[in-house]
Amino acid sequence: MSTLSVLLRQRARRDRWQLTIWIAGIGLLAVVSASAVAQTYGDYAGRENILRLAIANPSILMLRGTPQGGRLDAFVFFEIFTFLALLAGFMSTFLAVRHSRAEEESGRAEMIAATPAARTTPTVATLIHGFLANVVLGGVVALAFTAGRLDAYGSVVTGAAVAATGVCFLGVGLPAAQFMRTSRGANAVAAGAVGLAYVVRGLGDALGRPGADGIHLTPAWTSWLSPIGWGQQTGAYASNNLTPLLLSAALAAVCLVALFLLQAHRDSGASLLAGRAGRVNARGDLSGPLTLAWRLQLPTIIGWCIGGAATGLLAGTLSKLAEQAASADPTVTKVLRDMDQGGGGSVDQLLISVMFSLVGVLAAACSTQTVIRMRQEETAGTAELILTAPVDRTRWFGDYLLLGTAAIVLVLFSGAVVSSLSALAVGGDPARVGDSFAAAVAQLPAALVYLGVLALLFVLLPGLTISLGWTLVGIGVFLGFFGALLGVPEWARNLSPFTHTPVPVGGSTDWSDGAWMLVIALAAAAVAVAVMRQRELKPN
Amino acid sequence: MDTVIKTRNLVKRFGRVQALDGLDLKVSAGEVHGFLGPNGSGKSTTIRVLLGLARSSSGSAAVFGQDPWNDAVELHRRIGYVPGDVNLWPNLSGGEAIDLISRLRGGTADKAYYAARKSRLTEVFQFDPTKKGRTYSKGNRQKVALIAAFATPAELYILDEPTSGLDPIMEAVFNQEIAHAAAAGSTVLLSSHILSEVEQLCSRVTIIRAGRTVESGSLAELRHLTRTEISFAAEGISQEQLAHIPASHDLTVAAGRVRFSVGSDKINAVLPVLATLDVQGLTVNPPSLEELFLRHYGEELAADGVKATAR
Ligand SMILES: Nc1ncnc2c1ncn2[C@@H]1O[C@H](COP(=O)(O)OP(=O)(O)OP(=O)(O)O)[C@@H](O)[C@H]1O
Ligand SMILES: [Mg+2]
Repeated sequence: MSTLSVLLRQRARRDRWQLTIWIAGIGLLAVVSASAVAQTYGDYAGRENILRLAIANPSILMLRGTPQGGRLDAFVFFEIFTFLALLAGFMSTFLAVRHSRAEEESGRAEMIAATPAARTTPTVATLIHGFLANVVLGGVVALAFTAGRLDAYGSVVTGAAVAATGVCFLGVGLPAAQFMRTSRGANAVAAGAVGLAYVVRGLGDALGRPGADGIHLTPAWTSWLSPIGWGQQTGAYASNNLTPLLLSAALAAVCLVALFLLQAHRDSGASLLAGRAGRVNARGDLSGPLTLAWRLQLPTIIGWCIGGAATGLLAGTLSKLAEQAASADPTVTKVLRDMDQGGGGSVDQLLISVMFSLVGVLAAACSTQTVIRMRQEETAGTAELILTAPVDRTRWFGDYLLLGTAAIVLVLFSGAVVSSLSALAVGGDPARVGDSFAAAVAQLPAALVYLGVLALLFVLLPGLTISLGWTLVGIGVFLGFFGALLGVPEWARNLSPFTHTPVPVGGSTDWSDGAWMLVIALAAAAVAVAVMRQRELKPN
Repeated sequence: MDTVIKTRNLVKRFGRVQALDGLDLKVSAGEVHGFLGPNGSGKSTTIRVLLGLARSSSGSAAVFGQDPWNDAVELHRRIGYVPGDVNLWPNLSGGEAIDLISRLRGGTADKAYYAARKSRLTEVFQFDPTKKGRTYSKGNRQKVALIAAFATPAELYILDEPTSGLDPIMEAVFNQEIAHAAAAGSTVLLSSHILSEVEQLCSRVTIIRAGRTVESGSLAELRHLTRTEISFAAEGISQEQLAHIPASHDLTVAAGRVRFSVGSDKINAVLPVLATLDVQGLTVNPPSLEELFLRHYGEELAADGVKATAR
């Protein structure tokens, strides 16, 4: 028992800043969104109007939630809950992997496994630690919404739903760490599961059945396949029904049973997916820094491409639905146009461009990970093996930029191809093919800005590459996608590259922001290359 | 003789940490040069400057007469390097990593020659090249770097504690490979804490402490700076006779033996005196490198409360 408390304390200590930032950040988001919605959509009629338009438009529902009436607090829940649940999921999966697979990778777990703590105690400690983190998170969210003058009981239900989602993904993350050999792989699988849960419930909302009053919606059955969907089903502030959360608890329990069964059959440090014996000689193409970087990053790039393709699939199939919705209700076009900051295209063009802005985020994240990989090569000491061979450091650096650019193009391309094919498959207008590719090209500048700016950061402040890299993506998404909703001032929203992504709508498309972003990306990359010429290798 | 490595007054600062503080190092062509110093004295930092991975804060460094920072790529064609702490790519096999490094170094142009060298080294180092990087032990990771370094002939080998993870048999193999390289005319800079290794392999050594050179020269020269231990049977020798022995230090009589030490350069003056005393059971222990080493490490050890016993 005492080893457990030691391990618990160690986890709490190690995570004290990271979890504080996660929990405080999510809480802050809750407070801000409650007050911003109250300000922006103060009157009931206005909210009712928005809901009507949203219900007529699948892509809004996809990014928001299930409309459940025009009451202010229910409206807040509609707008922000799925995003809070998404964040709780990420917080929990990262926590799970951090204290399991990552520990084994670093060899620290072996030190613990050799102590009386044995093998299961660290897992139990991680479990309790993660559970408590989510309880605190739920409490903070409940308090935040209550402080934002929303109904107190509904706020508690919301907090419970956020916490239940987090616990559920804690349960998903721990077995993922058993299966995968690396923490990178485990994080990718677990975070991918969170993303999938978000999309699956989004599908449920997008394909839901509107109520007779036009401001309620019953989500389609797919929502019942997603832990985030179960959280939505509580109908906080409306029906306040806690029973769907039992599903989250049940899934978590199943995962944990699986976890302890798996762990009984596995050596410390080993993985269930056994490694194959490697090659004696390298294949002919593994001969330079670029081919090496490609080989190292390929699984990651494939992962993001799958994400791009999945989003493309939604874009292609939903565009047909949107077409139908639009012909039924002309105001839909206006709402979409507002969401997409102007433009004069058709509904389906707009919808494709909204969906592709998500592909753009994936591409930016993929390029971010390329730069992060470069930094990891530097800290792990493997870059040293390359740079003590006759390889110029600027060439090595340039190769990673090249790889990052290729990765962006591949993610966008897989989105565009799948979107085109799926639009054609559901009998959509062949013009959707051109729209898909135009929308994909429009995402290029913002993603390249991320690549260039992070590369510059790598050169100037290498120690911050990894932490700031993801933070920049997070801030960009927040300002670009939620900034307007939450009443963030325009100058701040303009900081996000995603705010400036062109909206391709036929001949009238304004590409000037895109061109400017290209210039910025190129300038940042050029400065980075120039500084790299003079930069030492900095392993720590 | 040509100078291969030359640093003068080399200074390297990391923020407020002064890693190198006026380091002088000179390595001539064809020699195997031992590079010694306590933990944290700046050996690895010096090596990183010589490889152009780090930039000196002041002072000069030259390798083959070129600037290691600006001419890094050109120099690296002539250098084989083994880092102190070898890390490998988790999902590349050892064999793949060796091939990759060798290809980068241009050592695979003659495929048959390279393949022969690689397979010979794989064999002598008893290395399994099929495992993935993450599953190798420390010693085996080091073997990857060693095989990659020796598979492509180099004019200069820079080795940073290359045997710290090897077992004694592999150390012997390593010694052999160094001998091969030296016989082929390569120059070697070998940083090490293992004195027997340095004594066996190196013709010259440089000892540094706290980023400064404290001693440099051939082993024979350095031995002159140390003391030789002499002892013989005490029976029949009077105190007065002992007082006649010149240049003796720390003279003690215990357990029936007289012991003292004498500066290695004074030994020729002492021996005739011992002959006139007709001493029995004479032993003369030449200074070990260990003694030399401890003399320079001694101050730090003393600060930590450890007594340098060899004095
Ligand atoms: N990147 C860095 N940042 C700050 N200080 C550093 C850095 N690299 C080395 N140092 C410091 O410089 C000094 C010399 O370190 P170095 O690694 O060169 O020692 P060493 O002689 O190789 O030691 P060892 O025998 O333990 O390998 C140490 O005090 C170390 O802490
Ligand atoms: Mg060192």
